[in-house]
Amino acid sequence: MDGRVDIFAAGALPVVAAVHTTAPSAAFYVALVLYGAAALLGVGAFSASPPRWVHIAGPVAMGLAFLAHAGDISFRAFEGVHPGYSVREALGFLSWVIVGGYLCFAVRGRLTLLGAFVAPAAMAVLAAARLSPSGDALVGLTLLGRIHIALAALGVALFALATLVAGMYLLEERNLKRKRFDRVLFRRGVALERLDALVHRLVFVGFPIFTASIVLGVAWMAERQASFLRIEYPLALVAWATFASLLVVRARGWRGRRSAQLTIVGFSVALVVFLIYLVRRALGA
Amino acid sequence: MGSTLFVIGLSWKTAPVAVREKLAFSAGEIPGVLRELTAQPNIEEALLISTCNRVEIYATTPRTAPASAVASATAEARGFLARSRDVSSEDLAECLYEITDGEAATHIFHVAAALDSMVVGESQITGQLKEAYGAAVHAHTAGPVLGRCMERAFGTAKRVRSETGIARGAANVSSVAVELAQLVFGELTGRRVLLIGAGKMSALAARHLRSHGAAAVSVTNRSRERARELARDIEGEVEPWDELESLLARHDVVVTSTASPQPVLTVPLVKRAMKTRRRRSLVIVDIAVPRDVEAKAGSLDGVYLFDVDDLRRVADQNIEERWREADAAAAIVADEVEQFYRWVKIQPVVPTIRALREHFAGVAEAEVDKAVKSLRQRHEPGEQERIVRRLGELIANKLLHDPMAALKAGGEPSPEELVAALHRLYPLGDPGIEPPRRAHAPEKKPTARDQAETSAEPRAPAPVPSEVAHRAPAPPESREANAPAADDAERETEPPLPEVATHAGGRRRGSA
Repeated sequence: MDGRVDIFAAGALPVVAAVHTTAPSAAFYVALVLYGAAALLGVGAFSASPPRWVHIAGPVAMGLAFLAHAGDISFRAFEGVHPGYSVREALGFLSWVIVGGYLCFAVRGRLTLLGAFVAPAAMAVLAAARLSPSGDALVGLTLLGRIHIALAALGVALFALATLVAGMYLLEERNLKRKRFDRVLFRRGVALERLDALVHRLVFVGFPIFTASIVLGVAWMAERQASFLRIEYPLALVAWATFASLLVVRARGWRGRRSAQLTIVGFSVALVVFLIYLVRRALGA
Repeated sequence: MGSTLFVIGLSWKTAPVAVREKLAFSAGEIPGVLRELTAQPNIEEALLISTCNRVEIYATTPRTAPASAVASATAEARGFLARSRDVSSEDLAECLYEITDGEAATHIFHVAAALDSMVVGESQITGQLKEAYGAAVHAHTAGPVLGRCMERAFGTAKRVRSETGIARGAANVSSVAVELAQLVFGELTGRRVLLIGAGKMSALAARHLRSHGAAAVSVTNRSRERARELARDIEGEVEPWDELESLLARHDVVVTSTASPQPVLTVPLVKRAMKTRRRRSLVIVDIAVPRDVEAKAGSLDGVYLFDVDDLRRVADQNIEERWREADAAAAIVADEVEQFYRWVKIQPVVPTIRALREHFAGVAEAEVDKAVKSLRQRHEPGEQERIVRRLGELIANKLLHDPMAALKAGGEPSPEELVAALHRLYPLGDPGIEPPRRAHAPEKKPTARDQAETSAEPRAPAPVPSEVAHRAPAPPESREANAPAADDAERETEPPLPEVATHAGGRRRGSA
């Protein structure tokens, strides 16, 4: 808030540079609490015989959290801090996209059970991103770099969703193979082939975005003449290669369990890359 | 007083099939049976439902019968059952249940909602009950009470079905196959079904799959002749037996039911087929014993293999799941039963209420008509108010005339009883102070006003002296002509209504 007053007092934009360390907005805390509630409701939906309202209340809490989160992001955008500003902003944005995707599934299909995974994940990512000390802008962050970060966040968000759905697939598949006809996945689960198709669609959309972000990242580093000899760069390539091969084998008719497992592997690697970035920024390197 | 609903019959819960089949009635017999039942002195309305799991009579006692008539009515129905089916009464007594008073509707509603069925929540019973009711309506043995009861029973069944999960989940083995295939594929639209072996069960499963959207059904069997027969039955195609591998590759849901002592689908065969179909999911339902598919085939990637035990387990679980919903369903039934009996309770007084209302309205309307005619002709300022006041008094006098005449006449019921009834019906203050013979005008006026206020919403008090109410409607002319002298004396102290219409005036003159 002080920052905004400064802007108007000074009457000129250059002061924006002084605004960059903003305190979390009220909307941020509201979103955090609502994600917590949605997580509890999501886990509750997995119990043996939850009351009917739990199945509605979970997605509703998630929807409200999504709106609050959007409020926080736009509030920060007013202060000049956008999703491409730093890795931690990108992470916050990433969790927001994941939640948005979940809401689409919850409305369109019977995938509300996924909320039990999405809500805690979103809450953890948001809290880690916003409350960690690594929020300052990168030195020499150009437009190229910002687009790179935003695209990477978006791509990984889609992979994260794909991974959650793939996890659900594996759980259901294992249950069915072991003939465990339980009251949760068996009665309220979604058909395996629908989950499989959903994983594929998410990876299919996420992959070009992720590819573009890698290309831009390389270009950005070339611009900065930065060193390529860092652990996260080959790892990012591994993640990329995993998803590329996933798409190739799928095109050749592979599906089901193995492609779900491959999705999870690819996302895990991408996540590690993100975490290394975050840790590096936190350590100030 | 009033009809009493009762149930007499037996079901799978009380009688073995040997007894049930003896007592079962065919559809053709039912009209005759219903007529014979309602010919019994203590049975007015009757309905008979006869399915393989129950034979029950729903009936009522006559409207005018005392409450104790139920015992005779059930005895009549029991005797009829024993006679018509030539079963000894002792044999029958063991498995027959008789449900009277408040429980009869509860039982009927439970039956309609399939809560009393062998497979709870099954869908057939409601339809069977509708047919039974249709037969009763057709035979003119269903009256207002049974009609209302059945209408609410069907409404309850609908509510139970939509508001609880009582009908959710397949409850028999052949439809569980559909449920399992849906777990893998979601919608079955366009999926291809292969029957290996021409068993009856697999034909049933194929029908279920097809009704859920499955596309082509193919049949293959060692004996081509039987395959052809089955294919004709279910409108499927016959495929050659020796091409099992390529058949597996081309179909998504496979149902096996051969009598082969060795497995028909071995692991290597399924493995090769899966390779050909590029590991697209394959659901195999093996309902043969001994099994047709090697159990290890189920652990292949993309193969979902279920045997008879699995199907049965799912069906049992579904039924268990339905029972979990039974509490919610019973609550709905209790709610509906309560509403039904509330309706039943007011039925005996309904005709009296209606007659009373019509009588009061008729008297008021006749007087208002006369007053309106006078009002149209008199425009003096004081005159109009006088006419309206006079109208009120006239209506009150006319309504009071018959009850007062009855009070004064004595006889049965005694004036004391009538006084008690009137005090029950109207807010007259402390009863028993005024002797019933001498009623004064000042006492009458507030009574009339009170009556005008309360008559807008006729209440239904239990001890309605219906004789009094029924005696009331009589032509106004004769009543006025026979009016006792005391009434006329009171009336003469009031100024008479201005005479405008000749016929009305003539009537007034005659009474004065």
